[in-house]
Amino acid sequence: MEGTRPFLRNAFIWTAVVALPITFLGCTRKKTADAVPVGVVLPITGREAKPGQYQREGIELAIKQINQNGGILVKDRGKKLPVREIFYDDSSDQAKSASLAERAMSSDEVVAVLGAYSTALGEAESVMPDRYQVPWITTGAAATTIFNHGYQYVFGTLSPTTLLGSSTAEYLGSLVDQGKLNKGLKLALALENTDHGVDYGNGIKQWSQQHPGYFNIVFSENFDLGSPDFSGLLQKVKSSKADIFLADAHLQDYITMHRQYLQSGMHHQMISYGARGPESDARKAMGDGVDYIFAGIWWSRNLPYPQVKKFNQDYKEFTGHDPDSWYPATAYDAMRALQAAIESAGSLNRTKVRDALRTVELKDSLLPGQVLKFGPNGQINTPFVIVQNKPGGKVDIVYPKDAATGESIAPIPKK
Amino acid sequence: MTLIDFTNLLVSALLLAGIYAVMSVGMTVIYGVMKIVNLAHAGFMMLGAYFALELFQRFRIDPIIAALLAFPVLFFLGAAVHWVLLRRLPRSDEPTLPSLLLMFGLWLVLQNLGYLIWGNTDRSIFTPRTLSVVSTVRLAVFIAAVGCLLLLEVILHYTWFGRSVRALIQNRYAALLTGVYEDRTAGIAFGLGIGFAGLAGGLLGSLYSFDPDFGRPFLIRAFVIIVLGGLESISGVAIGALVLALVETFSILFVPAGYQLAISFGLLALALIVLPGGLASLLAKVRRVA
Amino acid sequence: MSATSATLPARRMAGWAMTALPWILLAILAILPLLVPSPNFTRLLFMTFLWTTTSIAWNLLGGFAGQVSFGFAVFYGAGAYTTALLMNAGVNPLFAFLAAGLTAALVSLIVGLPAFRLRGPYFAIATIGISEAVRVVMTNLSFTGGASGYRILEHRPFRQLEHYYTALLLAAIAFAISWKIAHSKFGLGLKAIRQDEDAAADLGVNPYTYKLAAHALAAALTGMAGGVFARYAAFIHPGGVFGFHTSVHILLMPVIGGIGTVWGPVLGGFVFGIVEEEIVASFPEIHLLLYGLLLIVIILFEPGGILGGLRKLVRRFRDHR
Repeated sequence: MEGTRPFLRNAFIWTAVVALPITFLGCTRKKTADAVPVGVVLPITGREAKPGQYQREGIELAIKQINQNGGILVKDRGKKLPVREIFYDDSSDQAKSASLAERAMSSDEVVAVLGAYSTALGEAESVMPDRYQVPWITTGAAATTIFNHGYQYVFGTLSPTTLLGSSTAEYLGSLVDQGKLNKGLKLALALENTDHGVDYGNGIKQWSQQHPGYFNIVFSENFDLGSPDFSGLLQKVKSSKADIFLADAHLQDYITMHRQYLQSGMHHQMISYGARGPESDARKAMGDGVDYIFAGIWWSRNLPYPQVKKFNQDYKEFTGHDPDSWYPATAYDAMRALQAAIESAGSLNRTKVRDALRTVELKDSLLPGQVLKFGPNGQINTPFVIVQNKPGGKVDIVYPKDAATGESIAPIPKK
Repeated sequence: MTLIDFTNLLVSALLLAGIYAVMSVGMTVIYGVMKIVNLAHAGFMMLGAYFALELFQRFRIDPIIAALLAFPVLFFLGAAVHWVLLRRLPRSDEPTLPSLLLMFGLWLVLQNLGYLIWGNTDRSIFTPRTLSVVSTVRLAVFIAAVGCLLLLEVILHYTWFGRSVRALIQNRYAALLTGVYEDRTAGIAFGLGIGFAGLAGGLLGSLYSFDPDFGRPFLIRAFVIIVLGGLESISGVAIGALVLALVETFSILFVPAGYQLAISFGLLALALIVLPGGLASLLAKVRRVA
Repeated sequence: MSATSATLPARRMAGWAMTALPWILLAILAILPLLVPSPNFTRLLFMTFLWTTTSIAWNLLGGFAGQVSFGFAVFYGAGAYTTALLMNAGVNPLFAFLAAGLTAALVSLIVGLPAFRLRGPYFAIATIGISEAVRVVMTNLSFTGGASGYRILEHRPFRQLEHYYTALLLAAIAFAISWKIAHSKFGLGLKAIRQDEDAAADLGVNPYTYKLAAHALAAALTGMAGGVFARYAAFIHPGGVFGFHTSVHILLMPVIGGIGTVWGPVLGGFVFGIVEEEIVASFPEIHLLLYGLLLIVIILFEPGGILGGLRKLVRRFRDHR
């Protein structure tokens, strides 16, 4: 710097002196009043905005109902305290997701943090709970890599994705047993290149190995999430001459990929996009092009439980729309599990709440099997339901049999 | 690979080349006349895609026609941008860093405007035709693309403006001496380039889904193509587009789909470093050796 | 500059303040987290130091030597992944950071050896291609977890201040290097290259080796910043550390602050760090617009950035006195 003007240097000192305290003031937040502060970090902008919004609605519905009943009973305070939600939007950005979870845990004195939709964002957040010893319940991340590092404060209300893969294969196997599909069909897998995709693929591969003769996996390749163009991948799927096409994708990628699938005139006996399929956005974008797609999901609003019926009503009243796919349910139950844990701990102490979460059992859960209980690694293990899109916008549960609301249509009829 | 597979790939490569040529030709015109590397190209392509989407959704205009309509609209937008911003840049015979950063800033602004107006969920143009018969959309896109390229050739060769453009590309000083009005020519040329970007965006919007960050991979592809084409030659662009489309389409036979993008990006660096004069210089070299 | 306004003692004072300022700043920043024990505030400063480091690093090449690169995320990411892999292998974090710098410098040679045969804008475009290609490859590389990212498992309690002082030290080293170069023959050589590469070559400066050296130094600093970040975040993924937006941020800071100066990138880094982490977090929908407009305004009206603007302001103020 060639100048030697003292003014300039003063300007620097002033910037430093003025800017730092201002940001500091910006950082401090009001201390907790008489309430149970709960951090919620979800994407409501960005690529994952839609599912993130649905999950937020699930959590907020639970909070509303809890507060209408006077709040959560905290024994060592001797009274019921209302839940205060501290919400952060991570705009579907992993780094932001982690730092917002960190912020909630370190500066907002929350009892627990809920949220983290989609495996990618959950992975980034999952290093924070043990660092700050704050319980964290992910409502939308299911990859096993989050839960197998021995973390002590990490919980999740989604069954593992490997189970999704094996349930998918099991369902297809049941169709073979029924004689709807032939034995020895060729599978093509297109997996998102994240742990979610790896888990899903592993689930399918494991099941196929344990049940030889049912399927041959003739093609398996990964793809980038958020790519605008899957034509190369689909071209390869096409030339693999597979009978069944199984992809593991996010909502946006499901729509993009299936659109190109339809454009290139492809047809398979069965087709699935993993945990995506019945979303209303997809039908909006592709009309009856989404017919017959099946999906393995963590929850369906067609489940025949009374608490599900009530939830469907309350949710519609609260948000003005029906529950879309599985998203709000796992979030709703996460908040209720947290409530149960705080009540059984009788305290807002985070470690005590953590200990209580390990033993809590939600007996009227919305999820398949109706019981929510965290396993030793923090993840729940409820079964999946398989749903299939039917013509006219209907979505039927087709598997397991005892919850089915309709018959599987297999193979998919050619148009 | 059967002959049918091969023909399929070849045809899809050709169809792809058409649209690649349209998106790159605008960049070449701008570079040739103004020596500006248009980093904002992707932003204007994004605008073109949303323009087509809006026309289609609001007025049920066929998306291909909507893309063609994007051309004049973006042309005037481009001319306006030239008048407001680019005129103020110092003139130069080679691309300058300020011009690069300016266009980059413009790209950020356009992208953010996109986010503000349309949000950041993926959009796609969905017509009954999109799903019905194989590749009619691709074919229509290809025809529109080639038609516009031919029109550009006619304009460049048979109008006063076209001759001024070519004169400026060949030798700026000589062109100025013969009475080419640089400011106006540059303004029109920039408008033309942006118009083509909008057209390409509109056409691509019929093929792919898009969000406001749409166009970054295509921007890099456009770089590859104009570098292969020798930066300033319109016919070079056609060749570059064809080469890239062939390489990309046939590469899926050899590399996993996930790596497909890396090929065009890697090709860019390679082309810049090995072939700074474009394919034409390579041919010339080969001829000289022979 | 008019000599009339500054008398000799005043000038000496100014010179003293000039040398003292970095030390004072360092001292303030060193005790600040102890005075303000807020984890969130500490994190904000921590990130700001890392951004400042990368900003200073970019300026070595982009500012002093005039070689604009859109590809610094390659080094940031290379450093982050090197640190992550080594730390999981049980290497001491400090060595992991150094290795990160070394790896990044090595990568810079691989990039620079061919790319510096190109000039100015062509180099800039080539860096876009290279950085996107690297990101795509990293997204698909399975041994680093691909797009899923990579996790650092550090089996000891997390101490935020340790991270804070590492970052502060790194930023201070970066600043010292930048200062030293600005006042050295090497720095003069880089400036000559920026102004006229051919003329510089005639004067006995080898532009190719000079650029490579500046590139390697900048890459090493950026790589170490990436490494320090990786240890703090404990989870990295290609879309983040190798992302195009990382390159963009690294480029924006020095341009905003004042390109080619010692203090500009520091100013840019602080402004950016604080704006990005605090204010923009509340308005995510307009931050690109903000940066874009700032860039356009700076290029068209104030190529000296904030620093240049401040200087002009000070000059005008003084002339009116």
